[in-house]
Amino acid sequence: MTRRLYIPQDTSARAVGADRLAGAWEKEREVEIIRTSSRGAFYLEPLVETDGPRGRIGWPNATEKDLPRILRGEEGTPVADIPFLAKQTRVTFANAGVTRPLSLEDYRSHGGFVGLDAALRQAPEKVVEEITISQLRGRGGAAFPVGRKWQAAQETHADRKYVVANADEGDAGTYCDRMVMEGEPFRLLEGMLIAAYAIGATKGYIYCRHEYPAAARTLREAIKVLTEAGYLGEDALGGNARAGGRFTLEVFVGAGSYVCGEETALLQSLEGKRGVVQPKPPYPAVSGLHGKPTLISNVLTFATVPSILARGGAWHAALGTEHSKGTIALQIGGRVKQPGLAEVPFGLTLDAAIEEFGGGMATGARFKAVQVGGPLGSLFTKAGLKTRICYDEFARAGAILGHGGIVVFDQETDMVELARHFMAFTADESCGACTPCRIGSVRAREILEGIVQGRGRPGDLELLADLGETMKQASLCALGGRAPYPVLTAIEHFRKEFR
Amino acid sequence: MSSIAHILNRPDVLERGEGRAPNILKTLLAIQAELGHVPPVSVPEIAGALGVTDAQVAGVLFSYPDLRTKPAGRHVVRVCQGESCVANHCGRVLKELEKKLGVGLGETTRDGRFTLEKVYCVGNCAASPTVTIGEDVYGRVSPATAEALLKDYR
Repeated sequence: MTRRLYIPQDTSARAVGADRLAGAWEKEREVEIIRTSSRGAFYLEPLVETDGPRGRIGWPNATEKDLPRILRGEEGTPVADIPFLAKQTRVTFANAGVTRPLSLEDYRSHGGFVGLDAALRQAPEKVVEEITISQLRGRGGAAFPVGRKWQAAQETHADRKYVVANADEGDAGTYCDRMVMEGEPFRLLEGMLIAAYAIGATKGYIYCRHEYPAAARTLREAIKVLTEAGYLGEDALGGNARAGGRFTLEVFVGAGSYVCGEETALLQSLEGKRGVVQPKPPYPAVSGLHGKPTLISNVLTFATVPSILARGGAWHAALGTEHSKGTIALQIGGRVKQPGLAEVPFGLTLDAAIEEFGGGMATGARFKAVQVGGPLGSLFTKAGLKTRICYDEFARAGAILGHGGIVVFDQETDMVELARHFMAFTADESCGACTPCRIGSVRAREILEGIVQGRGRPGDLELLADLGETMKQASLCALGGRAPYPVLTAIEHFRKEFR
Repeated sequence: MSSIAHILNRPDVLERGEGRAPNILKTLLAIQAELGHVPPVSVPEIAGALGVTDAQVAGVLFSYPDLRTKPAGRHVVRVCQGESCVANHCGRVLKELEKKLGVGLGETTRDGRFTLEKVYCVGNCAASPTVTIGEDVYGRVSPATAEALLKDYR
């Protein structure tokens, strides 16, 4: 009897041996290997699964010599019973680890295109209204109300409009966009199709970062599949009736620049120019790519749209806290026992995220600090761990949720060196358009280098605070405006180390 | 015809986008995909073919970290410096690789086999520290296991 073995083909699963298992076992006579997406419980990867009487059975951290016991069905764990997964509210990642990324059949049988079908039965204005009702906010980091963007793009008249997915997931510590693109690319494409219908766009781009070659390959294949199936292309079913039913999509790969994740810099880069931040207004929804109305949103934002159209905006607005609706994909990493992706409604406390999902500290590690929201996010110490994960409480704490990255640092971390690292990153990545960021980041890095090397001078910390204030107030975009936060919070919480 | 002229004449490179302007970044990436890097001496030739100024081409070429202006080694080894990797003490992995390869960041081994670089996050944060070799991604790398990754890359 042939046994089906499900092995993830996600980059992180492959990075810890999934390909090696698949390669070693594909020659076995009684085995059929099916490559799926990953559950996102990366601490268990490679996680090999088989079909059980009540759902999948998993063998975590599998090695080549585990095959006999997997085939005998010994010592497996029902996947649904793994607490890390059982405690989540999976919506956008409901099919993670279950389906084959490029199988349209799998996508359809797991809720695919229900949202698009619902959208096409309504007038475009109604679709925008549904998004507004959902109170969805941009998941890339800026948390801008998505409905307002859609409305502006819809109401602006032009001969051509664009939909652009920001797949320049540059915040270190985050990978949820990568998981969508590699694991369920059709969900992103469906979200973009709905957006195109709503605003009347005929052309879309996915701006994918250079560091994600597997995501770019998967997306190109997925576009091919949807074109052949009639969803994309010149006379597509899913396109906008007002634009003759046309919507075509293209993947554009960048060349390694963090600031290209800022929407105006991204659009410059998409036009082939230097990725330099532009002043707003005009907003891209009014004048974006090639000067045309452009709806630009993060990958996860588009990937959330199909569920909203399928279940209704009110359903989405009922999840989460007062001003933070829906679920957030937390990517918990650093020195925790169980690094991985946890999709939960907004409102969980930071320590619950670290303890209940992260499993607490890794063996031998003691908690020192946690950074939330990528390289521009603030640091929290134990005293801040009761903060609830939602936009309001984070804003009150002077912090950001960013793209949902949570990185835990242990007692061996040198905070001065870490602060230098943060500022060196900004100095490396500054586009140079505004002086506070271009000059400020270099000066701040130099001061921190001095302190690291024991050449600190009296007044250095005051100078950093002053410089930080200028960068916060006067920078053109969030790179310069947020860069001082991790450094200043490091100084605030660990001042003794900066002497 | 120079190898660059050949690439510049490819239909996918010549193609003008909906903005009717040439896409400089796409052109430079196409050249790099064939030659491994974009020689700065070729800037005027590229600018001439695209109908833009030398400064526009040079500006793009020097502003993107992943556009190379000189050839790299046969295999590019990158040690991730993202926050999750930093939290997992990736500096120790980098030190070990610098010692074993005998080069620093941005340098190529004398035999041309490896170039050592840093990268800010490849999205493998839940299995950090991360080292990439070419397009291959390796997770949970420790100073003790780093050298063994290199042996299959000749």
